[in-house]
Amino acid sequence: MKRETDYGYAIKPVYTPADVAGLDYEKDLGHPGAFPYTRGYHESGYRTRMWTQRMTAGLGSSVQANGVLKKYREMGQRGGMCVISDRVFSMCIDPDHPLGRKEAGILGWPGCSLLEFEELMDGIPLTGQSITLLGSSAPTVMRLAYVVALAHKRGIDPSDVHGSVMESPFENYFGQTDVQPFDLNLKLWLDASEYVVRNKIRMRSSVISQHFQESGGNNAQAIAVVLSMYKELCGKLVRERGLDFDDAALVPYELVSIGTRFFEEVAKVRALRRMWARIAKEEFGAKTEKACQLLIAVHTSGRTMTYQQPLNNIARCAIQSLAGAMVGCTAMDNATMDNAYAEPSALAARMSLNTQHIVAHETGVADVVDPLAGSFFVEALTNEVEQEAGKILKQIDDMGGLIAAIDKGYIQEMLRDEANRKFIEMDRKERLIVGVNHLEIPPEDDFEIPIQKLHPGDSEAIAERMAAWKPTRDQDVLKAKIQQLYTDAQKGDRFNLMPSIVEAVEAYATSGEVIGTIRKARGLNYDPFNVIDCPFTLH
Amino acid sequence: MKAGNGIKVIVTMIGLDGHTTGGEVVSMILRDAGFEVVYLGVNQTPQMIIDAAIQEDVDVIGISSHASNYEQIEELVGLARANELDDMLIVVGGNIPREPAAQLLAKGVHKIFLPGSSGATIVDYLASESRGAKARAVA
Repeated sequence: MKRETDYGYAIKPVYTPADVAGLDYEKDLGHPGAFPYTRGYHESGYRTRMWTQRMTAGLGSSVQANGVLKKYREMGQRGGMCVISDRVFSMCIDPDHPLGRKEAGILGWPGCSLLEFEELMDGIPLTGQSITLLGSSAPTVMRLAYVVALAHKRGIDPSDVHGSVMESPFENYFGQTDVQPFDLNLKLWLDASEYVVRNKIRMRSSVISQHFQESGGNNAQAIAVVLSMYKELCGKLVRERGLDFDDAALVPYELVSIGTRFFEEVAKVRALRRMWARIAKEEFGAKTEKACQLLIAVHTSGRTMTYQQPLNNIARCAIQSLAGAMVGCTAMDNATMDNAYAEPSALAARMSLNTQHIVAHETGVADVVDPLAGSFFVEALTNEVEQEAGKILKQIDDMGGLIAAIDKGYIQEMLRDEANRKFIEMDRKERLIVGVNHLEIPPEDDFEIPIQKLHPGDSEAIAERMAAWKPTRDQDVLKAKIQQLYTDAQKGDRFNLMPSIVEAVEAYATSGEVIGTIRKARGLNYDPFNVIDCPFTLH
Repeated sequence: MKAGNGIKVIVTMIGLDGHTTGGEVVSMILRDAGFEVVYLGVNQTPQMIIDAAIQEDVDVIGISSHASNYEQIEELVGLARANELDDMLIVVGGNIPREPAAQLLAKGVHKIFLPGSSGATIVDYLASESRGAKARAVA
């Protein structure tokens, strides 16, 4: 069995002061709340504010997802809600598209119009909790427009809503492909980010290592890749959109994937905080403390949730949640014991949420900030992962940044090699996973857990509803707003489309219609799959 | 000679499934074992996959599934039948719950590789059961 970190550094049997010789407390760690924030951003940690405990929802129709959100609120989820989109909305086609009608509502929420968002949020407050909507990059502008439009409808100032509904254009490369071209995703992301900064809307964008890592990347690579994303995207907001770095730095948040290798996970997050703080200050000249403080949420790793002996996943989730709490995260959502099977059942969701509550209230971990600081082992690991990540980051910088490195295929190859290496390690039993390649039991002896079932008619029903609803919209207003969007979308990459997207969404233009219109204005097919024609006459 | 020599396999995702890691890892394992892999990637409809299978004259279609869109796999099996591709294997790999897995097998999927399947299991099955392997045995 291998005794090394997931990025290949040997692990010693014992760590001593010699392993952290040269560590300067003030310079390298600092008190919690002090630069370089290795120990976190708050002097008194969770005593001031507990992390947001949440579960991801989204399956079936918007009305069904609304029911799940209400159920989660009953289970004690009050700080924030988190909804993941289905593949149809993620692709920016509509449920009544020939490809959409087979998969609407299958892997998430079918949020293709403001109507769906209104149904999702029925009876649920837009303020007083963080609103997180996950999906792919292109629908960033739709999700943001929904929040703004619903705030207007409810008579709320959009700047009173907080959360994260935007998603970075890079996710497309890391195991979660969407069909829109990178340059379009990047343009829409910059538009949305500039819009929230200029309108003082406290919406963040996920710019995250989670997808990269869940697709097989190691800890050091994950840090390097996500830091290079921040450098690329914040740099563009400053250079191309004229924002102050101190404002631009408040757009991204990191969702870090926490696996079961406890100490390495804790070290990863500590190193990431320190590295970003130094980059923000030294490379971008950050003036505010906030700009040096990367907001970090935790997702306990879905990749580690095994299909075999799914009850074992409860133990894994508990270990990972404890690590997530140790690192001082802002919010946490858990993978569930049935993660390898389906979207969470009510039982699995309660189990996972309760795991967080147990960690928060019973273990005492929330009483003390950064409790592992000063451990010879953890400080040595923090230094090592920083060192390895720094090497990879330098390689990416030398290529001209992340976009250039992706154009060269460097990042994709790195991820592919690492995913292959992980599979081979498991195949050869160099890394043991209980129930998978160690202590296996025959499938017939395995215990059964309740699995959230899919109903084959659901997708069709969502599609039929949309097809019947579309003609009931005010067609004159809709056509005028779509035409305005088409005209604006021809004004060049730096012309911000958010205002006209918000107006189109308020006229109930759908995701397929909004993104299709923008695509057409850019000389692309209206339909990314080239199956349907543009339903509008545009000039 | 390697186990997969002379055997041609499509590896693909189906429908809107955008999860590529599993399919890419399996492609690497198959190539290393001597198989000829035609990797179609994402956003492939059942019809597109069948068209590719006919055009490339493959011995096996391998679907990497991580999206619960099983009906499209059933549609693929139906299209294979309609096109009389009776000696071509259709195999699926992924985290498929027991009930839909049993249903896919009943509908005519030849084999499902659940999570935890080793590379050797996949290679051995395709090397012994596919049309290319049988042709090789006769030759």
